[in-house]
Amino acid sequence: MRLILLTAIMGIWATEAAAHSPLKQTLPADGATISDMPPEVILNFKGKIRLTRIKVTYEEKYIEDLNLDSFESFAASYAVPVKEMGSGAYSIKWRGLGADGHILNGSFGFVLEE
Amino acid sequence: MLDLWELASIASKFAIYLGVLTSVGTVFAAILFRLSDFRGFTSGFAILGIAAAAVGFLLVGAALTGDVRGMTDPEILTLLWSTNVGTSLALRIAGLGLLIVGLFIGRIGMFMSLIGGGFALWSFVNIGHVSDRSSPGLNIILMFHLVAISTWIGVLSPLSKLSRDATKILETAELGHNFGKVAVVFIPALIIAGGYMGYVIVGSLSALFTAAYGQALILKTLSVAGLLSFAAINKLRIIPQIASGDQTATGRLAKSISYEWIVIIAILLITAVLTTTLTLPA
Repeated sequence: MRLILLTAIMGIWATEAAAHSPLKQTLPADGATISDMPPEVILNFKGKIRLTRIKVTYEEKYIEDLNLDSFESFAASYAVPVKEMGSGAYSIKWRGLGADGHILNGSFGFVLEE
Repeated sequence: MLDLWELASIASKFAIYLGVLTSVGTVFAAILFRLSDFRGFTSGFAILGIAAAAVGFLLVGAALTGDVRGMTDPEILTLLWSTNVGTSLALRIAGLGLLIVGLFIGRIGMFMSLIGGGFALWSFVNIGHVSDRSSPGLNIILMFHLVAISTWIGVLSPLSKLSRDATKILETAELGHNFGKVAVVFIPALIIAGGYMGYVIVGSLSALFTAAYGQALILKTLSVAGLLSFAAINKLRIIPQIASGDQTATGRLAKSISYEWIVIIAILLITAVLTTTLTLPA
């Protein structure tokens, strides 16, 4: 019986690891192809959250933390400055704290074609 | 797949559940059934609960930055402290601290331990999937659920200890019998409370079978059913045998209680997974 329970638990661990992802909308949108790099990425959440970490990965080789120092409270909408690194794929990964104490995280990506 | 941080946070949650429920439950059981010789055991689990609560809090910090820096970043930890994650940590440390102090200062101390235990249990009502529904009725049901299950866990070790002492066969039968009398009332209430909370959280019968959260909840329920069958065997067969003077029955009771522990550990693990990584069905 010990074995059955353990197997079952491992099964859950392996199949499901969905975190809370409450993003309503991003700009650029996830999967979009754009021709001009915007000065900032915009994240609109369903509720108020406090972003604690956001980083951009360019072409899967160059990673940079974006600066969140100007955000000091919970907000539903974030416009985070990002700089252009050239044509190619950008992926944005973010982490934050929901007002209810939940940890939130997610990612989205877009392609710049100049 | 789960990352290392999520595994660590499941492990810390499991340790919090085990530490808080066992220490608080033993205090409840000691008061309810006038037990003695439980103080060292209880403080050990209370210390486990405090340590796991502190580690769990730091792990949330790490989850916020995605790396080990979050565990020591004052800004992140201050931010966390201001949310109900911080309130729960405070309730756990203050509650279990009070519980430990109370254990060692005589009769009035048991009252302190009781209050402290109440705070520590309330920390679970303050946070999590049930508190998200912000319904006072549901909070009371969850608190009842916690008091009942911790009392159940709390009685196991004293009962097992008695059953392994051949000179205490009468005390074993008496404690088993008294617990059985209480259990007949609170176990049906526990089943109703658990069923109702599950219904409110999952929301629909189809989500129960399709969503991973629902499936994990089914697994938890099946484990609880397994636990109930051990409890029923104890109450209906083994305790009456002990009461009638059957010396071999105490060994069967001790064995049955260790099986109960295994199932309880499985239930707490499932619960830690449920509250850490699985999303509620929409």
